[in-house]
Amino acid sequence: MSGMNTQQRLDALRGATPPRPHDARAIAALAANPGCTRRALMDGAGADKDAAARHLGFPAPFGQSPFAITRGNVFESLVKADGCAELLRMLRELLGLPIAEVAYHDVENVGAHLRHAHTRALIDRAARDAQDAGTLYDHPLLTLRIAGHTAYLEPDVVAFQLGGRFHIVEIKSFAVIDGQADPAAVAAAARQAAVYVLALRTLLEELGHDPLQVSHDVVLVCPENFANRPVATLVDVRKQLAVLRRQLTRMTTLDRLLEGLPDDLTFDLLPGEDGRPTRPVAELADALRRTTARYAPDCLSTCDLCFFCRDEARQEGASDLLGRQVRDELGGVGSVAEALGLADGARDPAAGQEEIARLLRNAERLRRECLT
Amino acid sequence: MSDRLDDLERRIDELRAGVRKAMRARDGARARALRAELRTAERDWDALVSGEQPAAAPEPTPLVTVREQVHQGLRLLGATAQPRLIVAVSEAFLGGTIRSAQLTSLRRDEERSFRTAPYGRPYYLGAALTDRLSPARGLLTLSGWPLERRVVGPLSPRVDFLTCAIAVASQESEDERATRLLGRMARNIPGATNASSGALGPPCPERVIEAARAELAVHAERDTRDRAELARRAAAQLDDAARLFGAATLSTIKKEYVT
Repeated sequence: MSGMNTQQRLDALRGATPPRPHDARAIAALAANPGCTRRALMDGAGADKDAAARHLGFPAPFGQSPFAITRGNVFESLVKADGCAELLRMLRELLGLPIAEVAYHDVENVGAHLRHAHTRALIDRAARDAQDAGTLYDHPLLTLRIAGHTAYLEPDVVAFQLGGRFHIVEIKSFAVIDGQADPAAVAAAARQAAVYVLALRTLLEELGHDPLQVSHDVVLVCPENFANRPVATLVDVRKQLAVLRRQLTRMTTLDRLLEGLPDDLTFDLLPGEDGRPTRPVAELADALRRTTARYAPDCLSTCDLCFFCRDEARQEGASDLLGRQVRDELGGVGSVAEALGLADGARDPAAGQEEIARLLRNAERLRRECLT
Repeated sequence: MSDRLDDLERRIDELRAGVRKAMRARDGARARALRAELRTAERDWDALVSGEQPAAAPEPTPLVTVREQVHQGLRLLGATAQPRLIVAVSEAFLGGTIRSAQLTSLRRDEERSFRTAPYGRPYYLGAALTDRLSPARGLLTLSGWPLERRVVGPLSPRVDFLTCAIAVASQESEDERATRLLGRMARNIPGATNASSGALGPPCPERVIEAARAELAVHAERDTRDRAELARRAAAQLDDAARLFGAATLSTIKKEYVT
């Protein structure tokens, strides 16, 4: 590698556009697919994946619909109405919050530029002197360093005084019907909440307090059944936290990923005067193909580049297309054609493929027996 | 028929002049009310000219302004409240017709009116003051209340919610909306709903009052102390306008680190 350091290389990758700030959703999505180098590099550089995808002709039907956002906001204001009256009821029922604990601080009462400083001051005071602390902190603003950039994060509410620990409260508008919610939505909410837990722990650590004062149990508030009545559940996010931490460390060691790449590689869109990208599409696509992606069907709900990567995986006939579980079962077999070849015996297993080849042949035999 | 048309045209002219005057005086609330009337008049005129019978008005035009409806709602509640609650109370007990969207610019209009002609109106709808004496987001108060009631400490949102619940439970009303509102509030007060009938039956007002008073007793002492302290600071540091509408946020930052 030449004399450039990692930050300069990342800036070169991003090109002329200013870095895109990360939000909790984006950071959570990182944890959803930790093996993807393409995504790690683009996010590390702060490149605008959405603009790149649109320029490549693979716009993702991504981002929340305005209806969903409105619905989410209405439900959140319902939960938070009248000094978080509904939330207090749920915390009392679920976690046995004492009646006397009702102190409510709206961090947003200070101007936007002071919110983070005010959050720090309030959390510091709470961690130092639990007697005098508030119970609910509304609209706090936390920060997290992501690959050299500061991301600002807004958890819905931070609750304190539940056994002397901080709890992240996440308000989501998907319904819990008969005690069951959409597992994908819950998983996404848990990943997002894990980002907040990590940010709050980092804050406490910076202030010189015990980071484990932040509970790994987050309070998830959703509407119950078909009414708008909120209900709270505890969700353990330890697993998500571990993945997230690993992924963030990985992002700080991006130099290893950069090592194998040519120095002049860039994802720059070369925006013209009117802000429209002027870079030839084929050139950008080539640049992106230099980095390896790990496509999985779940990417469709978390990554802006999903359609581009899916198209690439289809052209290569990669086994990634069939989902993570199949890919893991087919360990060592990269493409669908290779797997089929091994199954019907047209192709001899390479070293290390004997086991999977035997399984595939068995499967093929069973299939044939069933069909005939 | 031409008589009616003449009448309407005269009325439209008057209303247009009125809107212009209100805009010049920067009285947003009045301008909006007049505009609404103007539109009704214009629609009637259209209908008459084209020979159609004007459709029966779906609801009588409100005789009370938005401002006055909010005032009545707050008077009934007797504590700082969010617009959403004020709208619900006004609907349930006072036959109110306000929508939350109409309240967004209300406070700004009030402040502007107060600054151009201080104490020119019998009452003002002000902002609650936070512990940094800045305006609290989305909490309305009445200028007639003592300062202690217009500031909010950490416990005040809960205390005010309980006070409002007692006020709502003390109102007698057969309206279904009133029952629903009380039910919604009672659900969030421990011991206010009848456990045996579940949360589904209509709540008993006496029980709600009793439960709210019981919880209020837990918070009252600390909240009264916090509020008295805040009120003292507000009285000492703020001018008239800031006492009603809150101080600008930046000038009060220092205070945070002193306390």
